Amino acid sequence: MPRPGLVLDVDSSTPPILFHHGESFRLEKLPAGRSRVVYPGEPLDAIRDVEGAIGDTLLHPLDSDPLPSLLFPGMRLVIAFDDVSLPLPKMKRPDIRQRVIEAVLDLAAAAGVDDVRIIAALALHRRMTEDELRHAVGDRVYDAFAPDGRLYNHDAEDPDDLAFLGTTPQGEEIEINKAAAESDLLVYVNINIVSMDGGHKSTATGLASYRSIRHHHNPATMEHSRSFMDRHSSELHHSNWRMGKVIRDAGVKVFQIESTLNTNVFGETGPLSVLQKREWEWSGRDRATYMAMSAGLKRMSANSRRRIFQSHEAPYGVTSVTAGAIEPVHERTLEHCFAQHLVPVEGQTDILTLGLPYICPYNVNSIMNPILVMCLGLGYFFNMYRGRPLVREGGVLIMSHPTPWEFHPVHHPSYIDFFEEVLADTTDPKLIAETYEKRYAEDEWYRHLYRTSHAYHGVHPFYMWYWGAHALAHLGSVIIVGGNVPAVRRLGFRPASTMQDALEMATDTVGPQPTVTHLHNPPIVMADVT
Amino acid sequence: MRALVFSRKPARFAAAAVAGRAVPGSGAVVGPLKLSEGDELDPPTEAWVRLRPRLAGICGSDLAAIDGRSSRYFEPIVSFPFTPGHEVVGDLDDDTRAVLIPVLHCAVRGIDPPCPSCAAGRTHHCERIAFGHLDPALQSGFCRETGGGWSTGMLAHPDQLVAVPEAMADEAAVLVEPTACAVHAARSIRAGAAGGHGPVALIGAGTLGLTTLAALRHLDGGTERSVIATAKHPEQRRLARALGATRVVTPSELPRAVRSATASLVMAPDDATAAAAHGQLTGGVPTVVDCVGSADSLTQALKVVAPGGDVLVVGMPGTTTLDLTPLWHRETSLRGCYAYDRDDFATAFDVVAAADLGRLLSATYTLDRHREAIAHAAAAGSRGAVKIAFDLRAEKRR
Amino acid sequence: MESHVNGERAGPTRAEVALRTAVRLQRRLPTARRVSGAMQFPLRAPTVPGGVEPTPKETRLGGAYDTEWARSPAARLGRLALLEGAVRPLVWAIADPDRRGYDRLVGLNGPAIFAANHLSHIDAGLLLTSLPEPWRHRAFAGAAADYFFDSRVKATLAALALNAIPIERTKVTRRSAALAAELIDDGWSMVIFPEGGRSPDRWGQAFRAGAAFLAVRTGVPVVPVHLEGTGRILPKGTSKLVPGRTRVTFGTPLQPGPDEDMRDLSVRIEAAVTALADEVAGDWWTARRRAHAGLSPPLSGPDAGAWRRAWALGDRRSHRRTRREPWPLRD
Repeated sequence: MPRPGLVLDVDSSTPPILFHHGESFRLEKLPAGRSRVVYPGEPLDAIRDVEGAIGDTLLHPLDSDPLPSLLFPGMRLVIAFDDVSLPLPKMKRPDIRQRVIEAVLDLAAAAGVDDVRIIAALALHRRMTEDELRHAVGDRVYDAFAPDGRLYNHDAEDPDDLAFLGTTPQGEEIEINKAAAESDLLVYVNINIVSMDGGHKSTATGLASYRSIRHHHNPATMEHSRSFMDRHSSELHHSNWRMGKVIRDAGVKVFQIESTLNTNVFGETGPLSVLQKREWEWSGRDRATYMAMSAGLKRMSANSRRRIFQSHEAPYGVTSVTAGAIEPVHERTLEHCFAQHLVPVEGQTDILTLGLPYICPYNVNSIMNPILVMCLGLGYFFNMYRGRPLVREGGVLIMSHPTPWEFHPVHHPSYIDFFEEVLADTTDPKLIAETYEKRYAEDEWYRHLYRTSHAYHGVHPFYMWYWGAHALAHLGSVIIVGGNVPAVRRLGFRPASTMQDALEMATDTVGPQPTVTHLHNPPIVMADVT
Repeated sequence: MRALVFSRKPARFAAAAVAGRAVPGSGAVVGPLKLSEGDELDPPTEAWVRLRPRLAGICGSDLAAIDGRSSRYFEPIVSFPFTPGHEVVGDLDDDTRAVLIPVLHCAVRGIDPPCPSCAAGRTHHCERIAFGHLDPALQSGFCRETGGGWSTGMLAHPDQLVAVPEAMADEAAVLVEPTACAVHAARSIRAGAAGGHGPVALIGAGTLGLTTLAALRHLDGGTERSVIATAKHPEQRRLARALGATRVVTPSELPRAVRSATASLVMAPDDATAAAAHGQLTGGVPTVVDCVGSADSLTQALKVVAPGGDVLVVGMPGTTTLDLTPLWHRETSLRGCYAYDRDDFATAFDVVAAADLGRLLSATYTLDRHREAIAHAAAAGSRGAVKIAFDLRAEKRR
Repeated sequence: MESHVNGERAGPTRAEVALRTAVRLQRRLPTARRVSGAMQFPLRAPTVPGGVEPTPKETRLGGAYDTEWARSPAARLGRLALLEGAVRPLVWAIADPDRRGYDRLVGLNGPAIFAANHLSHIDAGLLLTSLPEPWRHRAFAGAAADYFFDSRVKATLAALALNAIPIERTKVTRRSAALAAELIDDGWSMVIFPEGGRSPDRWGQAFRAGAAFLAVRTGVPVVPVHLEGTGRILPKGTSKLVPGRTRVTFGTPLQPGPDEDMRDLSVRIEAAVTALADEVAGDWWTARRRAHAGLSPPLSGPDAGAWRRAWALGDRRSHRRTRREPWPLRD
């Protein structure tokens, strides 16, 4: 029986707490008597017979006819799936997307469907490489569909492959992938690693173009998404839901298949398992592994460290697969998500501390550049709450990450310019949006790299910054421990060399004897703050 | 009279070349530059007057000579032994202050009729710099007979002197000569592909880069034109921003900055190079001003200049190796930019005053401390300095 | 003459010669009985009087060969060494296998019956070394009693190397079936070739019900496996090895239904292997569509004359991995 999450009050006999620190780790002693640590729940029990569960939900979907009855010879079937940004880290083969897609295709084969397209719904993310596609959909599907171009990456800049579907009452334009829009059935295969994913956001964002996405990926929306992990309080999701309605009214029939994973990220055995244990339960073997790992990592070059971490594949268990109409499916999915992630926490805190790991949705097989550090800390981790933020308004966020001034030239070309040009000028999301967004979004060169190479769209670094807009407005100051000093300054944050220094610096903002909360993430944990 | 004298001593010259390559400025220690006491110089003709330098700047071309980096091109147009120093503000015998215009052209050399260039008023193009009654030399400060600014006394032709306005401090006046070069460069920019409004990339933020920036802003009469300036060091970045650069970047950021500003595409053999904008930009800025003059800066200039654009070489280049294929293919004009005419000089006074360029003078040294002075000048950027000068106002034998 | 199927490749290899010589020598060696035969009773065995019917001697070979010893810890250790140290490198050297479909075995727990098509003697070695953990070192093979267990040396080798148990080709004998079922119940997985023998012409033969029978009897799933390319390496009728590339494709495990008839299951197994063959020759999606439509190209090839059957083999695409672009397109 997996144990649920836990809020630990730190006392003088609490061992140092593990902080992720990019491709390494730190053990930090938090002040006793006024600190607490929010631990994730242990991995929930996984479905034993995944194929059986998939088959079952396809035959008994929520608020929808069984999938076989929606399939008929001569139809145009489009299967869209979540891209390389999910799950994190990547899943041990076979990926759940492969298992679902194969099941769907098998039914389609039985129904005699000929015209099938399989599309990576990557919105403005970089195109997936062959290896990444093979990992997600499996070799069989790849070999059957990719060679003749029936398995491909969505292209949000291809004027010939986009369809305009209308506008919402709020004036938000909806433009999505044409093949998907004109299909007889769109099957969306999703992975809900966190509660932000899925629902109408899958299609309305994943298959959309910049023209459409800009309506909810902007500072105003993001500042009013509190948090974007809680869809009922998220302006981001409200906008996507409005768009979803327009898509439905335009006659696009979506059969949504969502799945959730447990938090078995580092394995219950094996060298990394120590990372998902609670510190006071580390055995002698765990401690030895930890020390050996830390010592080994210290002697490696940054590139080898990156390679090792990026090659880790998580032995996730699948906790649910639900198919059917988008809304009831997503509600069911969220229940499973929250069951795994939510930990009730009482009251806010003065200082929130975070240990940022080596990966975020946008640096899979890549480099975590300073903008992504900001996005992971102030975007994703800060928003891991329901109700109220873990840290009070005007409080301090302390995060630990090496924050190297380093960019992946192929994946993040516009990030480099954003960092060198835009952030050198201002860090205010609204000002950034007004002054620079359009030029970057319409830059012919970024567009070329997005479409033909493996580059994120020119506007993507702006979204990273907007992702932190709510946190930027909410926080009194942000301190990065152990980061590259000029890079941290460029982000508009304050550098500190140790956690003790950072806690000391934070008192400038929040006064003496502040309360501290550490979000022990990853594995993923989300605070239900009352 | 005390003067720093640069003599023709091949062995020391070679030693300076070796030392200067290892540590810039160290040519002053082992090279042929010596502080010496000597007699006053004899004027070449009656017309020449005595100028007692007050401040004399150290210029990049001086450093190149000291470190043995000078091109052999200069051999026929300098005369040994000479006292360096051509950025000079000094006292005349009647105690009025004057700035030296160092070019030794026909009128100064007593050549009549003047050469066609001088006749046209382009004295800096003078075709007789190695001829006439004066020893060969392109400027005062490279001539045996005239002496130079790094001394307590030198000779000047009245034609070479411009009075300094009362209100202008010596510290500002010593920057008039380099600023005149900058005004000349700024006029070239405005007459070239960039015209009066086109974007400009400015490579280098030493004295030349910063004064060119100031001069360009002065002549433009505003900051509408987009000027992307590269600066290696923080103090240079601060000054470049203060003097009106639209964007200040490190040298490695320049291709990306120009690419982004001009929404250009990039041609490169592979994705990684292309995405980092390390290839050849398809577009670019119409005019690139290279105030460094190295092979690297010129290569970079050719990569970021628009087809049919200009690369203006303001910094002294020397012997370099360059791939000129893009120059040919994109019909780029590569043009030098040297010195000034009298008109440039007059404007330079305004620019120095208006932009407060006196602040570019970072430190002064006495002649005794010339090695320190030269070491400082050679490492000016990294030591947070721009212009280093000799202060001769307190010298005893003046 | 079977050795002339492929003219230039005729003639046994040294290994084959050695093996045959060993068998011949073993038969020629003076046995203990012959030595003692020179001696008198009671030093030698008594002769049977003419009037009595001699009791039939219990044969120790063929279907009756007792392979119990081959599952002792020592034999298992020996087999581990043999499999990993000799068979695997050998398979790698001559068959260069490309193994696929492991992802389909993710949900599989406990013993299973791996049923594959059969083209060559190297199939067993190839399949055993291709089994993923935890099945690899807890597997036994069903081998033709009349071929592998007809001499003591072959029987010993088969039992040791492949952990083979003798299976009658023609019928399910109680003894072999009981042994197989018992082993499966003990947690051993079985490797079986339901065609009952190697294909004579590189096309498949009809599947026999042995695998299905055992699956229904023990309730364990059957994993269909398709082997491609081994027929080119060591086809029936020649004894010369022609190294080449092979592909091993595992299919989705087939769980026998609670009351499923073994004949139905056998049909399902054959259909699954047939679909795998189609998938290997073309792509998965086409194969699935044909499988659902019942149009998978039969393993047994076209129903036509010998030359057309041989001709049609040329259609079977070798996998893409082997394709190399001609010069101007590659470096």
